[in-house]
Amino acid sequence: MKCEEIGELLPDYLQGRLSSELAGEVEKHLASCVTCGEEAALWKNLALFPEEQPSPALESRFKAMLESYQEGRWEKSSLATEKSKTPAPMLWGLGNWRQLPAAGIVWACLFLACGFLIGRQSDRGADNDVQKKLADLQDELAATRQTVALSMLQQQSASQRLEGVSWSTRLPEPDTKVMGALFHTLQFDNSVDVRLAALDALSRYAGRPEVRNGLMEALQTRQSPLVQVALIDLLVDLHDRGAVTQFKKFQQDPRIDPTVKKRVDWGIQQLN
Amino acid sequence: MSQVRSGVGEMLGVLFERYHVPLFNFYLKLTGNRPVSEDLVQEVFFRILKYRHSYRPETAFRAWMYQIARNARVDHLRKRRPETSWEPEMSPAVEPVDTAQQSQQAILLHSALMRISEDKREVLVLSRFQDLKYEEIAQLLGCEVSTVKTRVHRALQELRQIFHQLESGKSLRGKGLDGGWPRPGSVQ
Repeated sequence: MKCEEIGELLPDYLQGRLSSELAGEVEKHLASCVTCGEEAALWKNLALFPEEQPSPALESRFKAMLESYQEGRWEKSSLATEKSKTPAPMLWGLGNWRQLPAAGIVWACLFLACGFLIGRQSDRGADNDVQKKLADLQDELAATRQTVALSMLQQQSASQRLEGVSWSTRLPEPDTKVMGALFHTLQFDNSVDVRLAALDALSRYAGRPEVRNGLMEALQTRQSPLVQVALIDLLVDLHDRGAVTQFKKFQQDPRIDPTVKKRVDWGIQQLN
Repeated sequence: MSQVRSGVGEMLGVLFERYHVPLFNFYLKLTGNRPVSEDLVQEVFFRILKYRHSYRPETAFRAWMYQIARNARVDHLRKRRPETSWEPEMSPAVEPVDTAQQSQQAILLHSALMRISEDKREVLVLSRFQDLKYEEIAQLLGCEVSTVKTRVHRALQELRQIFHQLESGKSLRGKGLDGGWPRPGSVQ
């Protein structure tokens, strides 16, 4: 292979995305060509840079920002205004004027009058308005939780995916996307712990027929025996007679683990 | 009301916990400047909170976050440039004290990384340090996947050339590292 051809393959090779055959070709070239070999070595050596930690000040600043948001000072304390800005000249004038004692009384009367006027006009509307805002914010909260749950379920580290599962349980009504992600985790996650946690999370919604069907389908021989047993127990707990057919089908699979087979027998007995 | 606010805050806290160090390293490798990197990380979380409504759950959160991170840096550079043409990347760092051959090589490599053109450095940082797939980077930069791969390869070619230049310069000057190589962690 020539250097130009290798150049096209090298980026994929470096991220481990070539077939073993092509990767072998690339490696053969890298061993014989100094230039290309050095490029690959540089990529490898970049990993030697340690991960740097920011100063603790970053976290304190972040917390301060969050506090200001949570206390409702958010709109006024954006980063842009955080660094002292001089108020507009007109406001200075008003500010000074407001400090005069007589003016204080005038301001008080004005505010009172405004209060009455606004109060009269929006007495009915105000309550609905607050309710609507509250409902909007609650929707937003649920959407953000869903985002966090979905994003964490895709993470590389098992502990983060576990956290993702636990976030999903905080959702009042997970939508099909979250359910889909949980089922995917239950069937394909590399870690048995994460799969079991996903099963636990799904069991909360076992009342829904589509969840129940999904759980029955998840009972397959390529699944880990631990998860299989947990699935059988859950389906038995749900007293779903429909599970018997699935159990019988599963029982006949020649690859079934002997312990799991005993559990299925027990499950069929319980349900009959 | 306050309950909802504390809920959003709690989630932002989780995102901060997970992403502030990778983001800080992303900026540090681009700028070589700690205080600027910390300011930019803070700015990213500020923008996540401010623009959270514009996030669409069907897109990957990480891609959205890096999009914000890139925009924040562009805005930061735009704000700086009219005042001064001085680049934080070129700020002199404290001369590192080291004896081991390997760490000398690491310093040279870092110096070379800081000297390759920024668009190439960015794809290298995103693909190597932030573990983004080429497809994700292409989406982020708004270009073809093949363009990203070509850029990664060119970045490595340029990195190799500059690394050799620095290495031969260093051997000519003996031990002198010239005190001018920026290195993460050295600028406080």
